[in-house]
Amino acid sequence: MRLLIVEDDRKLAEFVARGLRAESFAVDLAGDGREGEAFIDAYHYDLLILDLMLPRLSGTELLRRVRKSRPTLPVLVLTARDATDDKVAHFEAGADDYLTKPFDFAELVVRVKALLRRSPQERADVLRIANLELNRLTQQVRRDGQRIELTSKEYGVLEYLMSNPGRVFSRTMILEHVWDQSFEGVTNIVDVYVRYLRRKVDEPFPVKLIHTVRGVGYCVRDSESAAG
Amino acid sequence: MNHRSLAFRLAVWYALLLSATFALVGTGMFYGLEQYLRSGLADSLRRRSTQIEQILADAPVDVSDGAIVESIETRIAAEFNNRFVRVTRERSGLVYRSGVPADRSFNPAAIPPLGPPWPARGIARRTGSVMESATAIDTASGRYLIELGASLEPIETLQAHLLRLLGMLLPVLVACAAGGGYLLVGWALRPVDRISQSAELMSLQDVDSRLPVLPSGDALARLSISLNHMLGRLRESVQTSRRFLADASHELRTPLTVIKGELQEVVRTETMSQALHDRIGSVLEEVARLEHLVSGLLVLSRLDVGEAQREWVDVDLAELSAGTAEQMRLMAEDRGIHLVSAALRPVVVHGDRARLKQVIVNLLDNAIRFTPRGGTVTLGAVVGDAFQALEIRDTGIGIPAAALPHIFDRFYRVDEARTRADGGAGLGLSIVRSICVAHRAEIEVDSEIGRGSCFRLKFPVRP
Repeated sequence: MRLLIVEDDRKLAEFVARGLRAESFAVDLAGDGREGEAFIDAYHYDLLILDLMLPRLSGTELLRRVRKSRPTLPVLVLTARDATDDKVAHFEAGADDYLTKPFDFAELVVRVKALLRRSPQERADVLRIANLELNRLTQQVRRDGQRIELTSKEYGVLEYLMSNPGRVFSRTMILEHVWDQSFEGVTNIVDVYVRYLRRKVDEPFPVKLIHTVRGVGYCVRDSESAAG
Repeated sequence: MNHRSLAFRLAVWYALLLSATFALVGTGMFYGLEQYLRSGLADSLRRRSTQIEQILADAPVDVSDGAIVESIETRIAAEFNNRFVRVTRERSGLVYRSGVPADRSFNPAAIPPLGPPWPARGIARRTGSVMESATAIDTASGRYLIELGASLEPIETLQAHLLRLLGMLLPVLVACAAGGGYLLVGWALRPVDRISQSAELMSLQDVDSRLPVLPSGDALARLSISLNHMLGRLRESVQTSRRFLADASHELRTPLTVIKGELQEVVRTETMSQALHDRIGSVLEEVARLEHLVSGLLVLSRLDVGEAQREWVDVDLAELSAGTAEQMRLMAEDRGIHLVSAALRPVVVHGDRARLKQVIVNLLDNAIRFTPRGGTVTLGAVVGDAFQALEIRDTGIGIPAAALPHIFDRFYRVDEARTRADGGAGLGLSIVRSICVAHRAEIEVDSEIGRGSCFRLKFPVRP
């Protein structure tokens, strides 16, 4: 899979590229709109990651041209704005998805993978980690065969964490996924729910599955060993 | 009436000045007239006296009283002229006394005779309301005392008339001057009123609006022109500072993404000691706070410039807040706080649902944060005639009265240590206020230290 990042902030571009390469993508970098256009004309890309504020040729204009020449190329827009009117504008301009800076890299990876899958995601009905089992159809959670009663928000948090075992989800990601943006930055609501979740899922058992990565967020992992 | 207004003070000044002038002129007129009339009367009395002296002096030695009386009556006709005349001979007593005057202003018999010694030159005296002059002369037929008098009543009546006239004129004139002054000043200041009204209606958002410039070409016209200039400069500086705020928070986002991303990668992928891990974690926590701060500032700057209102719909605040409270219930319970949101009456307003929810989240979050364990946070709805309101009441620590006017200011903290430890950025309530302003809602706060606070969001009822 080959990706193109068009971003004028060198450091941000390199950081994203490095992270995506680690996820085994091939990544090219373009520093402005013109260069980006040349790259797109020259190579075949599976995904375009595009900053809207670019020198020489603006991201918005590049997006418009790309939509003409390569209508099927998925485009993930990076933006520093976050108001709803911009949201509408991005989709109207032809973006397939967008991320607001500052974003979590984990979130970027999730979005990139979702866009590349294109076809409806194959969704497992039952998620399993060690002896913890979550059934998406019945919304039931069992550990060691024992039924665990969760409130709907607790279930939402656990399902989100288990959807990608081992990946660390930031509080912002969890908030946006399970609640909505209104709660951002105001409360420690995620911590409270994770604590209640732990009380039910982890406390009665010797092996802990929900882990805190300080400053980053939470993850569900099989082993209790080293962080990462 | 405003007792300190220019118009009122000017009217009072006019009234006082006019009253003083009037009093002065009136007094002068009153006494001047009296003086003039009296001296006229005295002159006339003296002339008559001289006539009688002439008669007596011309009389022969053995003149009879009857002849004297006849001469005097022919020449003077005292009763007809309302005068008093009495002639007394030293030797034989009363020679002549005039009768009751035509206007019956005095009784001649009641005027006491002047006792000796008789004055050689004329003297004046006053008996009751009669002015009298007496002169003694020596003639061939003996020594006589001539007394002449006239009633002062006509003069006094005239003075009384004058006084009444002045008394009637004074209030009318004073009222005219004061009222006229008041109206005139009001009229002169009306353009200023118009300027201040337009200034009142003006917001710093509409860049093009200006105050009306008066065509008078005087100080008031210059005032409106200079106010417009000032307004222009003010707008420019407000816009510059808002643009700066938006740009700054915007520009901070890219470096923040890099810092956060790099550090998270380090934590995720590198093996390191627990101590280093904790330190990077601590830095990441600060980065998260910086992130919230930046996004809060951006929200504020967007609200400041009047964010496009594309997603305005009818929102039931009661339902929205009940739903939000449900989402925060666990958080409240975790802190041992009872969160009450009984079935509320619908409070339907027109607005941006996401923004309104942010208001409720921020207020509930504050209420929960500043209420001690065991307390209660209550959601309430009030629907009045002209407004409908949502109330968020807590039994928390309360806000000191001195802090109340500032709690909506950016970065204001009632208590430095307490809020900072809680991770608040000091923007929550500013955002609440900005959103309320955008929705034309008023926000009221009642608070009592140790008893709790109540935030009331008042929305106007739509016609």
